[in-house]
Amino acid sequence: MHIAALAKVVPDYEVPAGDFELAGNRAHSRYTRMIGLYDENAVETGIQLKEKYGAVLSIISYGSSADVPILRKAIAMGADDLSIVQGDSDDPFVIAANLKMAIEQMNDIDLVLAGQQSADLDRGVVHAILAEMLGCTFLAQISEIESGNGAWTVRQNHENGSRMLRLSGRAVFSITSSPQNVPRIPAVRAIMAAKKKPVGKLQGIETPPMQAGEVKVEIPKMESVCEFLSLDDLGQTAKTLLGKLREERYL
Amino acid sequence: MRVPYWNIGYGYAIDLLAFPVLVIFLSGLYNHYRKIRKGQERFKKSPDKEHSRPGPFFISSVLTKGILGTRIYRKFFTGLAHGLVFWGMATLSLGTLLVLADVVLKLPVFSGAFNRWFMSFGLDLAGISVLTGLIFFLVRRLFPPDRLVTPKERKGLFPMAGLLAVIIVTGFLTEAMRIKALGPDPASFIGNFVSGLLPAGVLSTTFHRYLWWLHGFLALGFVAYIPYSPMVHMVLAPVNIALADPRPGPKMGVIDFSFFDDEEEDPENSPALGVAKLGDFTRKRLLDFDTCLWCGRCHEVCPAAQTQQPLSPKKVVLTLAELLAANRFTDELPEVLGSDAIFSCTTCAACMEACPISINQPKTIMQIRQNLAMERSELPELMSKAYNSLEQRRHPFFGTGSGPKDWQKGLDVPVFERGKTEYLLWAGCVATYDERAQKIARAMVNILSHAGISYGVLSKPRCTGDPAKQMGNEFLFTEIARENIEEFSDLQIEKIITLCPHCYNSFTRHYPELGGRYEVIPHSVLISRLIASNLLPVSSDGSSFCYHDPCYLARRNHIEETPRQVLEAIGNLVEMPRSKRESFCCGGGGGNYWSEPSGVRINQVRAKEALDTGTDMIATSCPFCLLMLTDGVKKYTEDNKVFDIAELIDARLRSG
Repeated sequence: MHIAALAKVVPDYEVPAGDFELAGNRAHSRYTRMIGLYDENAVETGIQLKEKYGAVLSIISYGSSADVPILRKAIAMGADDLSIVQGDSDDPFVIAANLKMAIEQMNDIDLVLAGQQSADLDRGVVHAILAEMLGCTFLAQISEIESGNGAWTVRQNHENGSRMLRLSGRAVFSITSSPQNVPRIPAVRAIMAAKKKPVGKLQGIETPPMQAGEVKVEIPKMESVCEFLSLDDLGQTAKTLLGKLREERYL
Repeated sequence: MRVPYWNIGYGYAIDLLAFPVLVIFLSGLYNHYRKIRKGQERFKKSPDKEHSRPGPFFISSVLTKGILGTRIYRKFFTGLAHGLVFWGMATLSLGTLLVLADVVLKLPVFSGAFNRWFMSFGLDLAGISVLTGLIFFLVRRLFPPDRLVTPKERKGLFPMAGLLAVIIVTGFLTEAMRIKALGPDPASFIGNFVSGLLPAGVLSTTFHRYLWWLHGFLALGFVAYIPYSPMVHMVLAPVNIALADPRPGPKMGVIDFSFFDDEEEDPENSPALGVAKLGDFTRKRLLDFDTCLWCGRCHEVCPAAQTQQPLSPKKVVLTLAELLAANRFTDELPEVLGSDAIFSCTTCAACMEACPISINQPKTIMQIRQNLAMERSELPELMSKAYNSLEQRRHPFFGTGSGPKDWQKGLDVPVFERGKTEYLLWAGCVATYDERAQKIARAMVNILSHAGISYGVLSKPRCTGDPAKQMGNEFLFTEIARENIEEFSDLQIEKIITLCPHCYNSFTRHYPELGGRYEVIPHSVLISRLIASNLLPVSSDGSSFCYHDPCYLARRNHIEETPRQVLEAIGNLVEMPRSKRESFCCGGGGGNYWSEPSGVRINQVRAKEALDTGTDMIATSCPFCLLMLTDGVKKYTEDNKVFDIAELIDARLRSG
């Protein structure tokens, strides 16, 4: 069994709204870069499958070689190898095409895992496009995977619960976070060993982007306004509060 | 003049028997030595591995804590009883040696004033002192305080104390029989008294002979059995004290990770990080476990143990002592002790401060924690989130709503300039990312500006890495510390003002070992100096302040008086029952600021202790303590009563 987990390096997804700023329509470069939140869940899921079924887990990323030190965390967590397709496009179609190229070069990938959405652009479309390009089944919001009798049995989460699905053949799953796939903290010796692992670097391919151009990017400014109501007369205070909430259309 | 071995035929036989007893005694000690030798070398090997440098030996500690037993007297009656037994036995042993000297070397110890005042009066006084002390210990073992029996009582002390008491009593009876037969010895006040109680016509010479031999055999038996009983502490404790670094708090040092950098080495085969098995400990730690008497002073002061958390430092040490006694060097310690117990330690070092024989409980716990954190990556859930944040963002405040410069809003805070600025104002992660603690940094900026101090902050705030170290990840700490040291070198930073005692402790204790040496001053100390220099015009307004000593300032660095001087300048100081070096932790140390609250909350216990003083305000000089106590007082009052020293001074500067 050979599994590929897709990982994208993104700007810190916990930057407080009040501190967020754009530079060139993207998050300012001053923010720390890290593996995307759901991508770490995908990597963790891959490692658990590796441990359970003796699979080989490959990490594939699309980005710049400066991302390699950050992506090594996935190796330290327990992945076997890392390949990066070098490119700087934000276009989901271009990214999917490049990832497809890397997957096809590996030749024997049985399963592709990806975080349900990136932590920067939150589009959640690359894996679906990739599945289409690879001609395999795509399932979203997967939290658990089991393999047996030549089929995958998966749990798909939805807002109010989950459902179990079974399928066979090559597949792409988008992974959501669950208590079962909380990313592990790599052990120190694994971090150090990961630093010495060779990284596969692939030159990105040119491919036509989607027919949509970016016109403008806006991040609303967060403002907090605090008003203290008098507590002299609690009844009156409650009325004032209700009035204000209605005024602002919260009620 | 007294005659040695009077009424005793072949009395020298007892001296000859001392030789096999000595062999048994030394053999017993050798068994201890053999077990301790199974630990890791304490020596630091030089790179060529041919020469080794022995660790330091602290003579002054032996004299103070070892011989004088200064720490034991913190419990006055126990200390007094121990002193009576120790000094009494020392005197009696000297007396016995002098008798031998009389026999072998013809030293006239039984004549003149020396006989009267030392051999008669002195030895009787010593004997009664020992007996008094032993009676205290025996009674206390019959009615033990909780700390002696929780979680377990050490067996073997009662029989040995009882045997020693019998030896003393037989000694007095022997003396009394001699006096009965030969007439009163003017200075032997106990012998004369006991002799007076004996009935007339008693076969004093016969009884004297039998009692003399009984006394001798029991004494030899006692000596022979010392290494096989808890009494071995009289040998091991001074050695343990001598080998313990007398600086306060556990000295964790730094780990050399260069092994991993060697391209030829396989990281998978590198030595274990931290301690997983008994054999991973150094010999000093094994000596700690072997020496411990399970007195429970550590248990009594431990904030975790006192709030029913899973940790008891006494239990940790006694469990390891039992493993050592059973030669079980390969048991997995996290399983034996429980990782929840290991992570409950707040690293407050109260246990270490309370220990009379310099056992380093926090280091033992932290070394096991290091193994859990670095080898197994097992951290409690919240701690692991803080760790992840520290690793990725270089600060542990995951999910913070504050940006790195939010605390500076509305203030003109200068950035440190190489060659121009004198002090680096090190805000630290808490005062940068926690909204409540940001007020400390803002207050300090106002104070420094008011006093005209040349200061600046880093353009990008950082953490010292201390939380990683406290969570057991020495590797991440080293990485962060090296980054900081590099930046400090670029900026030519020499003087640092810290707002957090954890940062202060890191800069002064751990950074020098990584090459970062700075003049570091805690903000409370600087404020105290500025007030003394009349640079901060403040005056008393009659408010009362109860000062909570941060563990990393008072216990670990002995900074106790200067924060109090600041408070005395603006009001009246009231003290909690537990203060200064004996302060009770707020519960936030050791990464436990990021722990799941369960059972009795340490911060609420401490908050209540402070509120019970009737104080107007609770003052502290640590942002972690501030946050923990602020949370703690909420159980008892809605009022905001907890403030940092800097906030209190700043408020008075503004109102003044």
